[in-house]
Amino acid sequence: MPKHYRRAGKKKEGNAARYITRSQAVKYLQVSLSVFRRLCIFKGVFPRDPKKKVKGNHHTYYHMKDILFLKHEPLLDKFREMRAYEKKVKKAVSKKNKDLAERLLTRKPTYTLDMLIRERYPKFIDALRDLDDCLTMVHLFAALPAIERENIQAERIHNCRGLSLEWQAYISRTHKLRKAFISVKGIYFQAEVEGQKVTWLTPHALQQVMPQDVDYKIMLTFLEFYETLLGFVNLRLYHSIKLKYPPILDPRLKALAADLYALTRYADAKDRAVGANDEESELRLAQLQDQLPANEPGALMHLVEDVTDDIEEDEDTKACKTLFQNKTFFLGREVPRESLLFVITAFGGVVSWDGDGAPFEESNQDINYQIVDRPTQSHRFISRDYVQPQWVFDCINARIILPTEEYMVGKVLPPHLSPFVDNEAEGYVPEYAETIKRLQSAARKEILPMPGGEEDGLESAQNLLAEGVIDRTKAKEAAERRQKMALEEKKYHEELKKEMIGMQHTQTSNIDEIRNNGEDEAGPSTRQLVEDDENMAMVSMSRKKRGLLQAMLISNERKRVNVETLETRKKNLKKSKGKESE
Amino acid sequence: MANNDDVVMVIETTRCSEMKKKETVEKPEVIFEEEAVHSDSDDSILSPVVSDDDYEAFSDEDATNNSDSELLESEEDSDDEVHANIMDQQNPSNDDGLSDGVDDHDQGDGSASEDSREVVDESDSSEDEVGPRNTIGDVPLEWYNDEEHIGYDVTGKKIKKKEKLDKLDSFLAKTDDANSWRKIMDDIEDEEVELTKEETKMIRRMLKGRAPHADFDPHAPYVDWFAWDGAKHPLSNAPEPKRRFIPSKWEAKKVVKYIRAIRKGLIKFDKPKEQPRFYNLWGDETEQSGHGLSYIPAPKAKLPGHEESYNPSMEYIPTQEEINAYQLMFEEDRPKFIPKRFTSLRSVPAYEKSVRETFDRCLDLYLCPRARKKRINIDPESLKPKLPSRKDLKPYPTTCYLEYKGHTGPVVSVCTDPSGQHIASGSHDGTVRIWEVETGRCIKIWELGEPVQHVAWNPLPELPILAVSMGQDVFVLNTGLEKEESKTIADLLRVEATSATDDSESAGSSVSWSQYDKYEGIRIKHFKTVSSVEWHRKGDYFSTVMPAGESKAVLIHLLSKKVTQRLPFKLYGLPVSSTFHPTRSIFFVSTKKTVRVYDLLKKKFIKKLDAGVREISSISIHPGGDNVIVGSKDGKLCWFDMDLSSKPYKILKSHPKDITNVAFHRTYPLFASSSDDCTAYVFHGMVYSDLNQNPLIVPLEILHGHKSVNGRGVLDCTFHPRQPWLFTAGADSVIKLFCH
Repeated sequence: MPKHYRRAGKKKEGNAARYITRSQAVKYLQVSLSVFRRLCIFKGVFPRDPKKKVKGNHHTYYHMKDILFLKHEPLLDKFREMRAYEKKVKKAVSKKNKDLAERLLTRKPTYTLDMLIRERYPKFIDALRDLDDCLTMVHLFAALPAIERENIQAERIHNCRGLSLEWQAYISRTHKLRKAFISVKGIYFQAEVEGQKVTWLTPHALQQVMPQDVDYKIMLTFLEFYETLLGFVNLRLYHSIKLKYPPILDPRLKALAADLYALTRYADAKDRAVGANDEESELRLAQLQDQLPANEPGALMHLVEDVTDDIEEDEDTKACKTLFQNKTFFLGREVPRESLLFVITAFGGVVSWDGDGAPFEESNQDINYQIVDRPTQSHRFISRDYVQPQWVFDCINARIILPTEEYMVGKVLPPHLSPFVDNEAEGYVPEYAETIKRLQSAARKEILPMPGGEEDGLESAQNLLAEGVIDRTKAKEAAERRQKMALEEKKYHEELKKEMIGMQHTQTSNIDEIRNNGEDEAGPSTRQLVEDDENMAMVSMSRKKRGLLQAMLISNERKRVNVETLETRKKNLKKSKGKESE
Repeated sequence: MANNDDVVMVIETTRCSEMKKKETVEKPEVIFEEEAVHSDSDDSILSPVVSDDDYEAFSDEDATNNSDSELLESEEDSDDEVHANIMDQQNPSNDDGLSDGVDDHDQGDGSASEDSREVVDESDSSEDEVGPRNTIGDVPLEWYNDEEHIGYDVTGKKIKKKEKLDKLDSFLAKTDDANSWRKIMDDIEDEEVELTKEETKMIRRMLKGRAPHADFDPHAPYVDWFAWDGAKHPLSNAPEPKRRFIPSKWEAKKVVKYIRAIRKGLIKFDKPKEQPRFYNLWGDETEQSGHGLSYIPAPKAKLPGHEESYNPSMEYIPTQEEINAYQLMFEEDRPKFIPKRFTSLRSVPAYEKSVRETFDRCLDLYLCPRARKKRINIDPESLKPKLPSRKDLKPYPTTCYLEYKGHTGPVVSVCTDPSGQHIASGSHDGTVRIWEVETGRCIKIWELGEPVQHVAWNPLPELPILAVSMGQDVFVLNTGLEKEESKTIADLLRVEATSATDDSESAGSSVSWSQYDKYEGIRIKHFKTVSSVEWHRKGDYFSTVMPAGESKAVLIHLLSKKVTQRLPFKLYGLPVSSTFHPTRSIFFVSTKKTVRVYDLLKKKFIKKLDAGVREISSISIHPGGDNVIVGSKDGKLCWFDMDLSSKPYKILKSHPKDITNVAFHRTYPLFASSSDDCTAYVFHGMVYSDLNQNPLIVPLEILHGHKSVNGRGVLDCTFHPRQPWLFTAGADSVIKLFCH
């Protein structure tokens, strides 16, 4: 009798009934593989790993319930209808039935993905949670060229661009941007929308490489879903700040390719108009806060006090909003305008640029910083600082205005550090991170006594730092505890050793001695003992736990090795530098 | 006649206009005027007409483009001349110089010649009427190849062939004559025809696929020839049908169909309102039940670290050697991203893999199986089980107290005597030695010559004899350590020569008992290599295992009777070792995969213990008899609780290399395993009398000290029968005693 014998007439059970392979699923749904793929992408159905792979290891398994879920999708019928329609048109054309073909062409079946989005993301927060890939994809396509061969149409590229700019306009308008990081792959941004951290990557604004071995059909299917999703998300976000969606832009600015600026202008203008009507609008309060002259700290304080209860804006947002407040920037022709415009406005700065449609000229006396990315700057205004673009990004990641000396034109820049790394957890703190930390603490001390609207931001900064300190102390405590434990263990081994030798165990074995002597004294036998202890612990563990422990040890080891290589490299660099200086 | 001619001409022109649609709209009017002019003279329009005249009129009309003057001229021509023209119509030689003598009628004047040209022009339409000079008809011309004539003229006279120029002459004539290109040979008439300018033009037009005449308009508007206005009577006399007066049924049906469609809303007249593309999708935050399976959100993409910066710290950039070293790594291990430093933002190029990476992410999203995995962030120490303190489990062997040195080869087997005063050891150097435990003094040495496999001390204290397996022999040797000289041992170890041969029951043929001459003892010769010897607890029986012995692999010998018995069971697999139960008449045989348990009294197979390890190397029975430990060659130690299951109660993966031996202590709750990795593990193995409580197993100590020789470490271990001491025999030819 075979191993998996099933009596005739008896239904399948277990994994064999619960999971089917992809080809089985395609057959079951009576669709082509491409349609199945589209459906899966739209519905968010993914393969699952059964515990027991009945058909073999090299298959993709889908859960039967997922497939049934696809089977009842109205979109499936729609796809069938479209296929039938295409056949009809083809038939009419090949039979030279021009009238019929034309009539059919006016009645092309269409579909929307609206309900699918509602189904996949029952709440708005779910959609926000899953927005990372969507934003990255839309931003990428906004930077791609339209290719007829791959069916990447210009209007979709435009749509992507529009959507991405709308998103950016919302983020910068509501000051929700938290982190930005220039990497080799592009610029990473992280915003916090309704408590959700949304991270996305925008490619550098250059001609993108289009590889040949990529199936653009799949990407376009994803893009179709993402476009719809981002549209709905944008609408919801715009409505939440009482703006109309889709926004109507200044055609003049649009023509000048200053879409983002046009959008921000739109947001501001609408704000003013709407804010007047709606008294309770929190935005209006924020607006007022912005508009009140800075030389009336008392009034502002009063207002802020009144507002604090109602305002939902958290400390972080306030800190972000005030970082570049009352600072005016001017972008040089050679710097990436769009990203900087987005970043600076998101942190409360005022920006202009060298080019058409700019709000003010380069000669404007109010400009505090001019952002330049060229080897030398010939004509300089004395009243402003000429800095490289990295300064802006470093400032917002550090949440303080960094000194500009190191970022001046033509200077060798300090390293640009990722704000997404937890240095403490990683175990290696780059030198510049420490410098920034020092600067942060210095800034905190300086500005502490100052009153006014900036206080909030400072407070938050303080909090941040305080948190950092707390974390540190905790870490320290933990380290101490660990040390103590190690000591105790050592003591224990010492006792063992003594027993080995046959000495009478004395209670008066002092820890200090061991501590002083450290590991050197312990010698190989102690190490052996420790190893033995570990081995014995391993022996008595279950296989699962043993595997887990080993994996943990391996990962810790890997981390340690990484840190070690970094440190050795650093040492080597220092050495070579020292030699050079000599 | 002239009048008549006129009328005919008019009719011809109208027909012409009708057939060829050549004339302009004005032209018929002109003609009708003419008709009006001439009609008074002669009313019989349709009177029969002489065909010749007809032809001539037509040709004139055509050629002269309705020039009235010429028409008149042609009208004035005499009949004869007309005939002449007819005769000449095929004659292309309208030029004066070319008119040959063949022509019967010479052209009289210029007008006549012009006429003839006109006739030629018209030849395409009236070929039937004017016959050629040659009247042979449409017969093959080869028929006249041999004749001197080429045919006959109208009168029946032969038409003579002309003399042909030879090729050279004709070529010369061609080269001399500038017009030679427009000359064509007419085979039937046997004459050369020169095409006129008009003709060549006509041919050119025909080649282009146009009408031969330049003034022919193929798209002229149709002029109805029938005058409807003045008609008094209808064309048909049939009465008007009924359907002309009643509404159409089919139309009504169609209308009803449309009405229904409109009512149903299938046909809409006003365009549907433009719905906004996006709306508040999450307007009502009602909980919608998703599908049955839990949705597992895709893991977010990894956030970039410092090394992905366009301007990372210098220490993140690998040196050139390191980059080169990446090439030597496995492709999976190779870092995907190599950090790079750019001095300024403007020098950062577009990332060439951005589309590729997004695509890979897409593939991951829809093709990768997703599963929820718990990520635990705990201290690795907390995973270690809470075991009772080892201090409470004392005593157990911890330190090497004594070393017994003397062997020159790896010591493969060590055994204590039941009192615990002596140990016996067998080595590959071919000796068996007896040591005093407490002093480490070697008391006795037997030089047996061959590598010793196994030594086993008789469990009876009053019978200090030793069983040694060596090659194909098993020796039972008297140690001579008995307190008082007794005869029993000597008796026991005497084999009569006859008994050795007589003894032939089941296994006797393959095993022979004989007296060992060199030392005091018995030699039992087997037919295959004996790997182990084990005594029964009563000291009379002992079993030997020959792994290659097939059906006689496990033998049980009775020392008192010098009898050998085969194990009366079929073994599945190669036997490795055998043991007697410490209290009952149960016998354990371990094969490479399983341990088989037999009841020797009832001669019954009891159970099979399935270790699930690669290869069993050793077995030991708990003194209680209900627990068995099995060591394997993949370094695993399996503890079986015989009452519980045939599967191991616990598997301890202790050694990285083969376990060579496992041993239980006879009184203390201890057991040990020795391995080729030069260590021996000591465990606390407490078995409770309460059946509900599982045995407690705690690893206690790892004993080091032996050195590895030829990849082998500790080869045997055995506990002291009274003290918690452990003897280990190493491949480095040392025996060690570990004490507490």
